[in-house]
Amino acid sequence: MTPEPAPGPPPGPRLPLFDTAEFGGRLGEALRRSGLPVTPERTVCFLRSLRLAPPVDRAALYWTARLAFVTDRELIAPFERVFEAVFGGLGGVPAERGDRTAGPPGAEEEQVRAPAPGARTAPGRAPAGAGPVRAPAPRAGEDADGPAGTLPTLGSTAEVVAHKDFSALEAAELAALDRLMELIALRTPLRRTRRRDADPHGPRVDPRRTLRAIRTTGLEPVRLARSRHRLRRRPLVLLCDVSGSMEPYARAYLRLFPRAAAVGVSAEVFVFATRLTRLTPVLRHSGRYGVDAALRRVGAAASDWSGGTRIGHALAEFNDRFGRRGMARGAVVVIFSDGWEGEDPGAVGREAARLRRLAHRVVWVNPRKAAPGYLPLAGGMAAALPHCDEFVSGHSFAALTEVAEAIGKGSGGRGIGRGIGRRGEKGSGRGRGRG
Amino acid sequence: MSTFTQERVPDPAGLRRALDERGYLADPGLVTALFLALRLPQPLLLEGEAGVGKTEAAKALADVLGGPLVRLQCYDGLDAAEALYEWNHARQLLGIRLAESRGERLAEADLFTEEYLLRRPVLTALTHPGPEPAVLLIDEIDRADDDFEAFLLEVLAESAVTIPEVGTIRAVVPPVVVLTSNRTRDLHDALKRRCLYHWIDYPDPERLVRIVRRRVPGTSAELAEAISAAVRRLRTLEIQKAPGIAESIDWLAALALLGVRRLDAEAAGATLGALLKYREDQELARERGLEWLVGSGRDA
Repeated sequence: MTPEPAPGPPPGPRLPLFDTAEFGGRLGEALRRSGLPVTPERTVCFLRSLRLAPPVDRAALYWTARLAFVTDRELIAPFERVFEAVFGGLGGVPAERGDRTAGPPGAEEEQVRAPAPGARTAPGRAPAGAGPVRAPAPRAGEDADGPAGTLPTLGSTAEVVAHKDFSALEAAELAALDRLMELIALRTPLRRTRRRDADPHGPRVDPRRTLRAIRTTGLEPVRLARSRHRLRRRPLVLLCDVSGSMEPYARAYLRLFPRAAAVGVSAEVFVFATRLTRLTPVLRHSGRYGVDAALRRVGAAASDWSGGTRIGHALAEFNDRFGRRGMARGAVVVIFSDGWEGEDPGAVGREAARLRRLAHRVVWVNPRKAAPGYLPLAGGMAAALPHCDEFVSGHSFAALTEVAEAIGKGSGGRGIGRGIGRRGEKGSGRGRGRG
Repeated sequence: MSTFTQERVPDPAGLRRALDERGYLADPGLVTALFLALRLPQPLLLEGEAGVGKTEAAKALADVLGGPLVRLQCYDGLDAAEALYEWNHARQLLGIRLAESRGERLAEADLFTEEYLLRRPVLTALTHPGPEPAVLLIDEIDRADDDFEAFLLEVLAESAVTIPEVGTIRAVVPPVVVLTSNRTRDLHDALKRRCLYHWIDYPDPERLVRIVRRRVPGTSAELAEAISAAVRRLRTLEIQKAPGIAESIDWLAALALLGVRRLDAEAAGATLGALLKYREDQELARERGLEWLVGSGRDA
C-alpha cells in the first residue's frame, strides 16, 4: 500500500503560509516535550492525514492531529493543552467533542491522571523525562548513597530496616529497603485459561496434534496426543491510600508493584486520597525509581493532599471505571489503607462488597493493625472488614512477607497440579479463602 | 488503495453524509478517524465507554462501503487457530484415504494447499475478493491475552498472513480494520503504533436526541428530548452503570412499544429496567424520585 498523492487540486485552505513538513515536525516536537510518545512515524502519519483531509478549520486540524498523535485516553488532556497553546488564537473551539459535563463520576479528573509537568512548571525548566510514559530520573539523593557506599553494611542495615515500622524509616534506609524488596515475589494464585498445552498425561485428547502424528505413522493412531488447560497467574490490583496518615507506608507499598511484574503477574496500581489516580503507566516504565517522583506528582495534583480520605469514593471510582470493566474480575485486589474514612463509612462497606463480588480475593493491608490493642473500629475499616478475605498489617518489611503470602493464598504452593484443584473454591460460596 | 474507496468516500464530509444516510450519526472526530483509517489506510483503534457505539461504527462503515463485515469477538484464550486459520484435518485425512483408494501418490505438499484451509475471521477478511473492501472488526481486543496481539501485527501492518506451509497470503483488497477496546488492560505499544487511536466521548444531549430518534423511527421530538434529559440527569447520579446510547435507544423503543406519548413518572417507573440494569441503580433512581427523573413541571 503506497500513499496516494493528494487527489486533484486541494480544496480549501491548506496552511499555505509555511512548510507543512516543518509544521508537522514542530508540532510533534512540542507534543513530545509535553510527554506524548511522539515518534517520527506518528509525524509522518500526521502529514499524510493532512494531505487526505485538509484542515479546513481548527476543529478539523484538531482531529487530524489528535488522531495521529494521541495513542491513549490519558494523553488527550496533555495533547489539548499543547494544542491550545499552539493554536489557541486561531478561534473556534473544536466543536462537538461530546458531553463532558454529564460524564460519569471521575471524568473530570483527567488532569490528575495525566499530569504533564511541562504544562505545570515554567517552560524554562522543562523537566527531563517528563510525562506519563517516561522514566523520571533517579533522585539525586539515591545517587549520593549509591550501592557502592552502603554495600559493606548491608547486612546489619537490612536487619534493622526489615523490622522497622515504615513510618520510622529514614531516607537512607529507604535505599536499603529497595534492595530488600528484591526478595519479595508477589505471586497470585493460578487460574485455568482456555488455551491448552501439550501434556502426555493431560485429561483431553488433542485432535489436531493427534492427526498430525497419525500422518507420519501411515494413518494408524499409534499414540493420542493429549493436552491440558494452560494455567496463568491471576491479575493483581494494588489500591494504595496516600492520604497524610498513610504517606510513609505508601512509599514502601508502591515499591511492591515491580515485584509482581518480576514474576510475570500482570499488575495494576492505583493511589487515592480524595480521588483515584492510576499509576500503572508511570511505574511500569520507571520501576522503583519512579515511586517517589510519582508520589510527588500525585501530591502536587491533589489539592487536598493530606486532607481527609474518601476511601468509599475512591473504591467506587475504581469499581465503576476499571473494576467492573474487567480489571478486577478474577483478580486479587489488595487495598492498603488505615480505613479512616472522612466522609461516609457506609460507602466503604458498600463498595468493598461490590469489589468482592467482582474480584477473586480482596486483601486489606492496614499498618495500624500492628499497634498493640488495635481494634478495627475506624468507621470505614469496620464496614469493609466483612467483605475482605484477608486482613494483614504489613507495617514493616517483615510484615510485608505476610502480605505476599496473603496474595498467593489459594495457589496451592508452586505445584501446578494443585492449582487446578482449587478452582471450585470460588463457586462454592468462596470458602472465605482461608484454606 | 483502490479507486473504489476513493470514489465512494472522497472526503470526510462525504463519509459523514453516507453514514448519516445509513442511520449512523457520527461526530466530526469519529468521521475523520474513519475517513483516515479508510484512506491512509491504517487500522483504527476505538476506545470509549460501553455503549457509545464503537461496534456500530464498524457496522455502519461496512454498510457504507457495501462490503461484508467480518467480526472477531475476542475472549480470554483466543488463539491463532480460532482467529486466523486452521488446517481442516478431517478433510486432509479424507484426502489421504481417497488418494489411497485410487492408488494415487500424494505428496505432503498436496495436503497443505488453500483448499484444506479453514478460514477464520481474519483470513476471511483478507481473502475477500472485492472490489469493495471488507471491514474487519476485532471487537474487545483487551479481552484477548496480550500475546494474541502479536498475531495481529502482521495483519495490521501488511494486510497479510503468513502460513508456514503455504507462504504469505496477501490481501487482494486490504480490509479496513477496526479494533475496539474497553480499556480493561493496556494494549501493547507495538499494536498501538500501527493504529490510529480515537476515544469516543459520550454524546451531548442534542446529539443523543438525534441518534435515538434516528434509531427508533416515528417517535416525537418531545419524547426523545425528554429521554435525553432524563438520561442526562441519571448520569449525574453516582450509579454503577451510567446508561449509554444503547440503553437510551432501548428505553425509547420500550416506551414507543407501550404507546407512551409523553414521559411521566409512571411510564418511566414501568420501563426503568430498559435503562438501568443494576438493582442498586434502580433503587437510587427511585430514591431520588421518578418525578425528578422525568423533569415534571416542565424543566427549563
